[in-house]
This record gives sequence, structure tokens and C-alpha cells, in this order.
Amino acid sequence: MSDQAAPHQGFASRYRNVLLGLLAVAIFFAAWQAVFLFVPFNPLFISKPTLILQALVSLLVSGDLLHDLAISAVPFVYGFSSAAVVGVALGIVMGWRPRVGYTLDPIMIMFYASPLVALAPLVIVFFGVGVSGKTIIIFLLSIFPFIFNAQAGVHAVDRLLINVVRSLGGSERDLYLKVIVPSVLPYIVAGARIAVGRGLIGVLVGEFFAASEGIGYAIARFGDLFALDKMFACILCIMIIAVALTEGIRLAERVAFPWRVGQ
Amino acid sequence: MTETRAIETDIGGPLESAAPADGLWHRLESTIFGAGGIVVLLAVWEALPRIVTLSAGTKLFFTTPSQIAETLWQMFATGSIWVPLSVSASGFALGLGLAVVAGLPLGVLIGRSPTLNAMLDPFITAFNATPRLVFLPLIMLWFGLGLWAKVIVVFIGALFPILINTYEGVRNADKTLINVVRSFGANEWDVARLVVVPNAMPYIVAGLRLAIGRAVLGVVVAEFFGSESGLGVMMVQAAGQYHVDKVFAGLIVFAGLSLIMTAAVQVLENRLTLWRPQRAGGE
Amino acid sequence: MPGYIQGRNVNLTFRPPNRGPVRALSNFDIDINEGEFLSIVGPSGCGKSTFLNVLLGLVKPDSGDLQIQGKPIVGPGTDRAMVFQEFGLLPWRSVQDNVELGLELKGMARDARRKVSQPLIEMIGLAGFEGHFPHELSGGMKQRVGLARALATDPHVLLMDEPFAALDAQTRDLMQVELLRVWQEARKTVLFVTHQIDEAIYLSDRVMVMTKRPGRAKTIFPINLPRPRDYEMRTTPEFNELKLEIWNSLKDEITV
Repeated sequence: MSDQAAPHQGFASRYRNVLLGLLAVAIFFAAWQAVFLFVPFNPLFISKPTLILQALVSLLVSGDLLHDLAISAVPFVYGFSSAAVVGVALGIVMGWRPRVGYTLDPIMIMFYASPLVALAPLVIVFFGVGVSGKTIIIFLLSIFPFIFNAQAGVHAVDRLLINVVRSLGGSERDLYLKVIVPSVLPYIVAGARIAVGRGLIGVLVGEFFAASEGIGYAIARFGDLFALDKMFACILCIMIIAVALTEGIRLAERVAFPWRVGQ
Repeated sequence: MTETRAIETDIGGPLESAAPADGLWHRLESTIFGAGGIVVLLAVWEALPRIVTLSAGTKLFFTTPSQIAETLWQMFATGSIWVPLSVSASGFALGLGLAVVAGLPLGVLIGRSPTLNAMLDPFITAFNATPRLVFLPLIMLWFGLGLWAKVIVVFIGALFPILINTYEGVRNADKTLINVVRSFGANEWDVARLVVVPNAMPYIVAGLRLAIGRAVLGVVVAEFFGSESGLGVMMVQAAGQYHVDKVFAGLIVFAGLSLIMTAAVQVLENRLTLWRPQRAGGE
Repeated sequence: MPGYIQGRNVNLTFRPPNRGPVRALSNFDIDINEGEFLSIVGPSGCGKSTFLNVLLGLVKPDSGDLQIQGKPIVGPGTDRAMVFQEFGLLPWRSVQDNVELGLELKGMARDARRKVSQPLIEMIGLAGFEGHFPHELSGGMKQRVGLARALATDPHVLLMDEPFAALDAQTRDLMQVELLRVWQEARKTVLFVTHQIDEAIYLSDRVMVMTKRPGRAKTIFPINLPRPRDYEMRTTPEFNELKLEIWNSLKDEITV
């Protein structure tokens, strides 16, 4: 923009927002820790950052945390990936064939509008508390973002671009590789970002209900045992995973689809 | 991170199909196919046990639309629905109301103050990405099994869509329009009244719509795991006793609650946004 | 004799966050006579729009002296009004409410506002469209509303920031004719920023060419073509000669 070379700018002004955010997080934890200098500390009701950190370390060292995470990851991977495959396929067909879209749209809206979590007890009773029950809950919860976004992506394919590629002598293969896939893919990835959150809900619902292992079970059990430091450690762990997954996908979107400015 | 926080809309919301609206058949085509789809689904579901012999175990978990309708009718006719429904509805209304009361001003505040926004951004990002369900055991520990635990669960679910959408709407206020009213001597209050708030309105309504879905989810989940009464409690008990029709009846009532609220918001939106170009295709 | 609008040594540097500072105006001098139509042409980003915002009172210069009728500019005031490039209509307000915006902010009562806005809406040819929202209007109609809104507060100075740039060529030609008619009636002092040399010559008493950023006045061309002007005038040799002169002055400033 500027004609002149931009003069050197201080680190602080360039990373102002990041620094402010880090500062706020630091203040938050410091205040949390400090408040018990003035308020009596009741470990059966609340925990504090130092204790949570200790609990996190001990859970990591003993391997319990990783074990629970691994247990929970299995149905998540199964449910999420099958939701992706089925949802994208269904969404593309619904987008491509208008009549299939007309027919299935209201049904999908109906399912999407109803709190499907409410079917969890039924699924658990029917399929049991093992991997299969959780997988189905996760599948049910995370499929809809894939369906709707794949459908929206197909609708968003620019007919003009198809004609452009055709007029330049492009083959059907070119059409798919150069126009359709690049148009639809960003929608699907955005759908995946939404689906991650819903899939995690599925994990927790399944494990809160009835389970003997897994991270959701661990949180519920530590709550029952009033082991709040360990409970907070597990909650923190889930928060980190959730942020890493959604922000990771968001970052991947920005790297992979830099042309989608401001979407 | 601050610059690119994605706006929460129902991005996954189904799209209106872009068919040329020409002639009666074309206009009715989507309705006919849509209604047909639902009718076929219900008919097959209803006919299935008559055509296929289900094993005794599967039969226990099977119900038909007619049974569900019958159960639903009985629940209303005998009035057995009203107590659990009112318990669930009050948790829903209180939680959603609190989320609006807290989310709107906070959203305006971080929309107008870049510093505050930068400081709160890590918290908002973290809480928004995390399924709020993870806090449920903690909330139950703190608030017990009564109404307030439920209200809090609904509140933290509904807060973020409202907060984030308000923030986006405030932040996206057109700089030119702000300059326009300033050039006529407007003060900060005039700018907010004439530009920022009207501009944010559609965002807020979209956030509200999303928040309704989250609030219903919150009620269901809270009642599944930590309540003594309510529609969700009724459903868990029904599932345990293999009253599958009752589970589905509860699901339909929840869906109905969600749809009625969404329709109310839609009416509100249409009244507030007369000035906007009609969306292509119509509703 | 000091000008009606007088600027001396106006300097302005933008300091955007996360980027280097941008010098927008450097020792900028300007004199505008009362009732004059002055156009400013210059390369993109030379600071001509910035100068309008300074005159409007939305942006404060770092240094220099800027006066209207001998009084320094301290902020927005009803003696000046702007017509914006992208129209700047509030999308949630009807035509009438948009025209009355400035009057409303002045605290004028509803009935009094109607008395002012109604003749203006008729003048711009939008009678019958009072209740329409901006999205229901064409680009030309929108900018008529923008013009009426600026005139409603009866300012002495009309600032126009590439007002016709967003319009198609035919609409633009018609709007130029319209603007001249309004100007002839209302006799405002007009400061008109544009990219189009044709437009500048056709409308103006004088055309000022600005240098590239940081912007200064480079040359001022008096346009001694007779008024009232008509469309055919654009084909006369005098017109084309002026156009060539101005282009020659401008082209050195443009870097592609």
C-alpha cells in the first residue's frame, strides 16, 4: 500500500491482540489461584490451578488419561468418518438431483430440528454401552452438517465456470477436478468443523449414560468421587482437544482455500 | 484469531433449491415431492411389522407412527404431559432469557472495544469449541438436581451463539454509514441507534434461532443426567421400561417446542427486516 | 483576498495498526471561491477523498490551516454536506427517512421535516417513491436520494466523492445533467472528486490535478466554457483540447 518502506514496528504492536489474549488468560488463572488467599478453600466444591496441574501430570504419568482418551477415540473415529462418507454422498446426491433434494429435504430438516440426543437412551438400551452404541450416537449427531454443507456446496458450483472450462476444451475429468471439487470441498470441510463439536457431544452423552471407561466416564466418575482436581484436569483436556480440532480445521481451511476470503 | 472468528449462522441450514418458478407444477413440485417423501417414510415404517416378522427382541424396541400418535394423544388427553412439559419449559425459558440478557450487552461491548475483544477472545473460542456438556457433572455438583442446574446448562449452551452473532453484527457495521451519520453531526448514541443496532439485528436474530436449538439440547441433556422431573426424565424412564413410543412422543414434543420458538423468531425477523431484499425463492 | 474555502500546508498521515504510516496529504494548498464548482482529479489513492473527509470534519489533519468563510473546521457542521460514492443510504430507512436524516439529527420536528423533504424529493423526480427502501431503487435513483439528503440541510458547501462512479455510463451522463441543473438552481459551492476527466471538465469552473501520494495540488485548469452547458459541448475542439492538456498533466502521476 504505502510508497515508503514500512518502518520497523515493535513486537508489542504487531502481536498486540495475541499478547492481550495471553495476558487475560494469565490474569484469569492467577486470580483463580489468588482468590483462595481470601476465601476459604473447599476441595469438595472447587479446585485451583496448581492442584489441577498436579492432577493433570499425575493422570498423564499414570497413563489413565491417555487410556481413557484412546477408549473414547475409537467410537469417535468410527462414527465421525462414517458420518462424513454417508453424509457427503447423500448431500451431493441431494444437491445434484433436484427431485431427490425435494423429497429428502423436509425429512432431513425434521431430523435436524429434533434434538436427536433424545434418542440416546434408546440407542444405548438397544446397542449396549460399548463401541457400537457410542458410534451410532456420534454418527447420528455429526452427519447433518455433512449432508447440508455438501448439498449447499453443490448448489454453489458456478454454472458459468462449468461453461468456461467446457468452452476451453476441458473434459469431464477437468470439470470435476478444476471446478466441482474445488467448489464443494470448502463447504464439506466447514461442515466437518461443525460436525466435530457435535461428535464430541455424542462421545460425552454416550459415556455419561453408561460406560466403564472413556474420558466422559472419567469426568462423571471424578465428579461422583468429589475429586475435583482430576475432574477439572479432564475437562481442561477436552477443551484443549476441542479447540485443537476446530481451530486446526479452520487453519487447514485457510491454508488450503486461501481464495475464500472472509467466508 | 480475532479477525477471523467465523460467524455463527445456521450454515448447515438447508438451502432453497434454485429451480425456475414457472407454472403451477414447477411451483408445487418441491412441496409434492417433500410431502411424498414424508408420507412414504411413515407408510413404510407403519407397514414394516405387518410385512416382516420381527424377532421378539427387536419387537421390544419397535414402535409405529400410529402407536406414537396414540401415545401422544393420550398424554395430552389425560393431561399427564403438562407437569413434565412445564418443568422443561421453565428451564428452557429461564436459561434462554438469561442468555439473551447477558449475551446481547456483552456482544455489543466486545464489538465496540477491540481491547476487550482481544482479551476475551481466548475464552470465547475455547468455550465455543468445547461441547458444553463437559461441564454438566460440575454444574450438577454445584447446583444439585433442581431447576437451576438445568437453567445453567441451557444458559451456557445458548449464550455463545447470541454473544458471537451480536459481536459480528456490531463489528460489521458499515464504516461508510457511520461516516454518513457522523457527517450530519451524530454523536456515539446516534451512531448506535441509527446504524450499529439496525445493522446487527439480522445477525442477532440468526443467533437467537441457533440459540433455541442449543437451549432445547441443553434441556434434554440436563434432564437426562441430572434432574428429578421433566420431559427428558420421562423419556429416560420410558426407554428403561422399553416404552419406545413414549420416547418418540417426547422427542416430538421437544421438536415441536423448538419449531414453535423458531417460528416465533421468524415472525419477529420478518417484522424487523422489512427493509431487506427478499431472499430468492422465498420461504 | 482569502478564498471562501482556504487550505494552507495541510498535512495528514495515517497510522494504521500493524502497518507502516501512510502520508496522505503533504503541504496541501487550496483556494475555492464562493459558488464555484471545482473538480479534483488525481491518481488512485492520492488523497483526494481524504481531503473531502478532512473538509467534512470527519478526519483531523496533523497540521496546517483549513478555513471556511474564515472559520477553522473543528468537526462536522451543517454548512457542509457530502454525497458518497457508494450512496451511503441507510438500508433500513425509506427514501423519505433517508432524505430527512440530517434534519432529524438537527432535532427538527416531523412536520417541519416533511415540508423540507417533499419538494426535494419532487425535485429529484422520486415523488411516489417516498416509502420505498433503498434496495428497491436503481443506482441512479439511490444517488438522487443521496443528493437530496445532502441538500436537505441546506449546506453552503456540497462535497461529492466520486458520486457517479458506481453508476453505468448512460445513467452517469444523465446524472451530470441533473447535477448541473440542481447546482444552477441552488448555487452551492461544490467540491467534486472524480476519476473522469470528461466529467470534471463538463461540470466544473476549474479542474485541479493532484500529484500522486502524498497528495498536493499540481496544476489548476480554468474551464472557460460557456454555461449552461449541453451534451454536444463534449465534442467541441475546445473541450477536447482541455481534455488532452489535463490528461498530459495527470498521466505523469499515474503508475500502473
